[in-house]
Amino acid sequence: MVAPKDTREFIDACLKTGDAVRIKQEVDWDNEAGAIVRRACELIAPSPFMERIKDYPGFRYFGAPLSTYRRMAISLGMAPESTLPQIGAEYLRRTNGQPIAPVLVDRRDAPCKENILTGTDVDLCKLPAPLVHEGDGGRYIGTWHGVITKHPVRGDVNWGMYRQMLYDSRTMSGAVFPFSDLGKALNEYYLPRGEVCPFATAIGLSPLAAMAACAPSPIPEPELTSMLAGEPVKLVKCETTDLEVPADAEIILEGVIMPDVKVEEGPFGEYTGYRTSPREFRVTFRVNCITYRNNAVMTISNMGVPQDEGQLLRSFSLGLELEKLLRSQGLPITGVYMHPMSTHHMMIVGVKPTYAGIATQIAQLAFGSKLGPWFHMVVVVDDQTDIYNWNEVYHALCTRCNPVRGIRVFEHTTGTPLYPHASPYERKYSMGSQVLFDCLWPVDWDPVNDVPRLVSFKHVYPKEIQDKVLANWESYGYPPVK
Amino acid sequence: MNLWEVFVLDLGELPAGKDLELTIRTLNPGIHKYTYKRVKCEVSGELDQYEDRLQVRFGRGQLSDKRFSIRVIEEVPRIPAKYL
Repeated sequence: MVAPKDTREFIDACLKTGDAVRIKQEVDWDNEAGAIVRRACELIAPSPFMERIKDYPGFRYFGAPLSTYRRMAISLGMAPESTLPQIGAEYLRRTNGQPIAPVLVDRRDAPCKENILTGTDVDLCKLPAPLVHEGDGGRYIGTWHGVITKHPVRGDVNWGMYRQMLYDSRTMSGAVFPFSDLGKALNEYYLPRGEVCPFATAIGLSPLAAMAACAPSPIPEPELTSMLAGEPVKLVKCETTDLEVPADAEIILEGVIMPDVKVEEGPFGEYTGYRTSPREFRVTFRVNCITYRNNAVMTISNMGVPQDEGQLLRSFSLGLELEKLLRSQGLPITGVYMHPMSTHHMMIVGVKPTYAGIATQIAQLAFGSKLGPWFHMVVVVDDQTDIYNWNEVYHALCTRCNPVRGIRVFEHTTGTPLYPHASPYERKYSMGSQVLFDCLWPVDWDPVNDVPRLVSFKHVYPKEIQDKVLANWESYGYPPVK
Repeated sequence: MNLWEVFVLDLGELPAGKDLELTIRTLNPGIHKYTYKRVKCEVSGELDQYEDRLQVRFGRGQLSDKRFSIRVIEEVPRIPAKYL
């Protein structure tokens, strides 16, 4: 399989494998579309491709684009049945090489320029921004997208997935946290100077561009997308700013972040499975131009209880980016994984415990990195524990983590306003605290006489006995094990 | 009659008969449903006091059982002219 180049190729690929369903009857943008996507997420069902939207002829929705590992595999051009370790290995292989620069194409070759609204024609309500959840603070136009900005001094391009809510026909507010790339650029540069920050929002990105926008990688997203795709991503100049946007995106919003205006944003159903972050005066975007493809497809991610992209893809990319970081420091890790059910709050690290304090070193690196604010628990297990098997991890956590030696709390760190366990004050100021669960046997224990022996089929029986039992399992009268 | 909605933390933010400044969103059907404006207004717990209706949500989106009537006096511009 070849990696789909844009949302439309991705939808076609998902329809062919049964990983998307075509919904032909009219769907209301006001709650109904969101409810369909939410239910599909909770059932781990195919993505809904909604072809008729009330009030919006000519537009379509594609929901829950990457909320299953099957669709993640398809987005990478892999077989849908690829296992998670296989998908992770492929992500690492593609993103450990040399960055691939994007290419700039002429606007005539950019589908996102098929329709252009400027001046008094600009009205965000001409786009089918859904009310994703009943009780949300507004219609969220940006739930699966990239907010594109450029650092004014360093020139770094950032594609970040900062949720965006319609305030009025030309104004959006968004959750941009101070520790994020855009938050840093705003607080370091634009806001103190009172300068506008040009932005573009790209909706209906290729799935790999969306994957890159979610990944907390040090590689700029255009290069990262190109590395994931194995070829340069095509960009085109904006109409009103000097930013460059994916030429094959479905919808582009161009404008400026106003340094002297903040309007209310939220509440919103979030990836933690709650509405947590308070309704606040947040970063405010003024839209000056809209461009979009004919029959544009708006992508919708509906965050809530697992499993949706918020947990699955962020868990995937946070884990793999931490794995890269820990390997770059020479740590003998066997892998890093976040189970989606943890709503990317618990990082599980497997390591060969070769020296004292290795779990603390891992936790300090994890919490001290730019990834750190997005999770508050690190569980370190040994190389005999399968980090992808929650039963094994849970057993290790409950039996090997000493309540005194094994649990270390890191106080007064950076958190997110989305943490359900944080106090209202901590949420307001992005304050956090984090904890390590060290599930390694101490290195000063005699490995023969002090370390307990794991009693399991695969650990205590001789191989010839295991092979015999496995070979005879069905003849004993048991059904086949799948 | 127009239908509006406001987010508050406490119903005490909506005293009857006082000059208030609120951020309200329209619930009228159509493509502009849920868009906001900042307004000077008066509200009342008596539904027949003013022509328009106002419903209330709390901080996490919970809908209040209490309904109000509202009179929008004027819109308060929030976006400076240089951005219009």
